[in-house]
Amino acid sequence: MASVSLTVNGEAVSAEVEDRTLLVQLLRDHLRLTGTHVGCDTSQCGACVVHMDGRSVKSCTVLAAQASGADVTTIEGIADGDTLHPMQQAFMDNHGLQCGFCTPGMVMSAIDLLKRHPGADEATIRRELEGNLCRCTGYHNIVKAIRQVATAG
Amino acid sequence: MTMFRPENLDDALALRAEREVLPLAGGTDVFPARAVDEAWGRPAALPLLDLSGLFELRGIAETDDGYRVGTLATWSDVIRAELPAGFDGLKQAAREVGGHQIQNRGTLVGNLCNASPAADGLPMLLLLEAEIELASRRRRRRLLLDEFVTGNRRTTLAPDELAVALHIPRPPGDVPSRFLKLGSRHYLVISIAAVAGLVALDGAGAIATARIAVGACSPVACRLTALEAALVGRHIDGGLVPLVAETVPPALSPIDDARGSADYRREAACVLVRRLLMESHSGRVAA
Ligand SMILES: Cc1cc2nc3c(=O)[nH]c(=O)nc-3n(C[C@H](O)[C@H](O)[C@H](O)COP(=O)(O)OP(=O)(O)OC[C@H]3O[C@@H](n4cnc5c(N)ncnc54)[C@H](O)[C@@H]3O)c2cc1C
Ligand code: FES
Ligand code: FES
Repeated sequence: MASVSLTVNGEAVSAEVEDRTLLVQLLRDHLRLTGTHVGCDTSQCGACVVHMDGRSVKSCTVLAAQASGADVTTIEGIADGDTLHPMQQAFMDNHGLQCGFCTPGMVMSAIDLLKRHPGADEATIRRELEGNLCRCTGYHNIVKAIRQVATAG
Repeated sequence: MTMFRPENLDDALALRAEREVLPLAGGTDVFPARAVDEAWGRPAALPLLDLSGLFELRGIAETDDGYRVGTLATWSDVIRAELPAGFDGLKQAAREVGGHQIQNRGTLVGNLCNASPAADGLPMLLLLEAEIELASRRRRRRLLLDEFVTGNRRTTLAPDELAVALHIPRPPGDVPSRFLKLGSRHYLVISIAAVAGLVALDGAGAIATARIAVGACSPVACRLTALEAALVGRHIDGGLVPLVAETVPPALSPIDDARGSADYRREAACVLVRRLLMESHSGRVAA
């Protein structure tokens, strides 16, 4: 067993977990933050993207123990009370989702990409989304949603 | 499964000497492989030796004769580091490894230790003449990468050793290097063929030095030494087309697989080498 202490969405949390517990399992099974999804388990799809110390990572590729001491933000941590994060709002406004499975990871990756590429153009957005797969939307409205935030400045 | 998470290298080497463990850096090769094994009913046997707590092994630093890349340096660290033009190709390779999230976790050293024939780090590191530093309780040693990666998934890492750093000599002149990769789509893809090059021209436009390496077309990426030698003194013009066609395919031993046939790989490698030579004519491309 490993004891891990970290900050999740601004709150300090500690847990006793099995050594092999992945960060995504800690979030979903122990902390019940089920907004972070598991689509593939092999680091391909991006449904599990969260921010760790301000950078996007695939939480199926991080041991819970490796996140010890880190500052983690999940999809549950980005809205301001009842006010959606601008990226969440943009996904709603632009119909950037259908089944919604990929959406938490898309939103977390999108926030990170605009932090690194403020005002990103369409080509940059498409390139930067390479680690996030969506089987429903054809990406068009996802890119449109992110462009909306990028141009809102 | 058990896991060890030492906080300094001595403890890590002691654990490594005592029992059979699987070193873990960014986990971007280890975890997907484990997930697949578990799905097929082959639960992971080896305990993990997580190196991510070894802060002494992080970072990229300039040294007297070049650069020291810590074993935990990620692809993102390479992209962000201030490095001379000779490293441009390494930055380009870094941007091709998985997506941004994989680059934030995956390490150069993990890429080398995993020893995939299609590892995108090796061609550039071969032409930069990088050495890998290995440590155990018995000794420290430094190996050139062609002495380290010896086959498909095979390295000369001893069971009690850990890789601790890469040492990269300062590249010659201020000449930009270049990395070109062919996959079956543009993004998040395993290389069918990859080419890295550093080609310097003299004042008269003739090739003064040429270092060129190819990945994914042999069990281990390799330098094209015959082509490199033949290029010196030549101008970049149509005359190089037959030279490339003569020298590149014999240096490779590609396989037929789901991603492409051996013939296709040979042809792709020639096209990428030609493209690289053309580009070295036209100046620096964004790193
Ligand atoms: C979605 C996805 C896309 C990818 N795309 C690419 C790509 O385009 N190109 C490419 O080349 N690779 C790609 N990869 C593979 C992988 O990301 C890279 O090989 C990465 O650099 C591995 O580094 P790591 O730190 O994650 O290694 P880990 O998974 O931690 O380890 C890899 C191997 O190295 C060993 N090891 C690690 N560190 C040490 C050490 N210090 N001493 C001894 N042994 C050690 C481990 O035991 C293991 O066998 C991809 C992976 C994923 C999941
Ligand atoms: S579940 Fe992590 S990338 Fe798919
Ligand atoms: S909305 Fe269904 S997977 Fe993207």
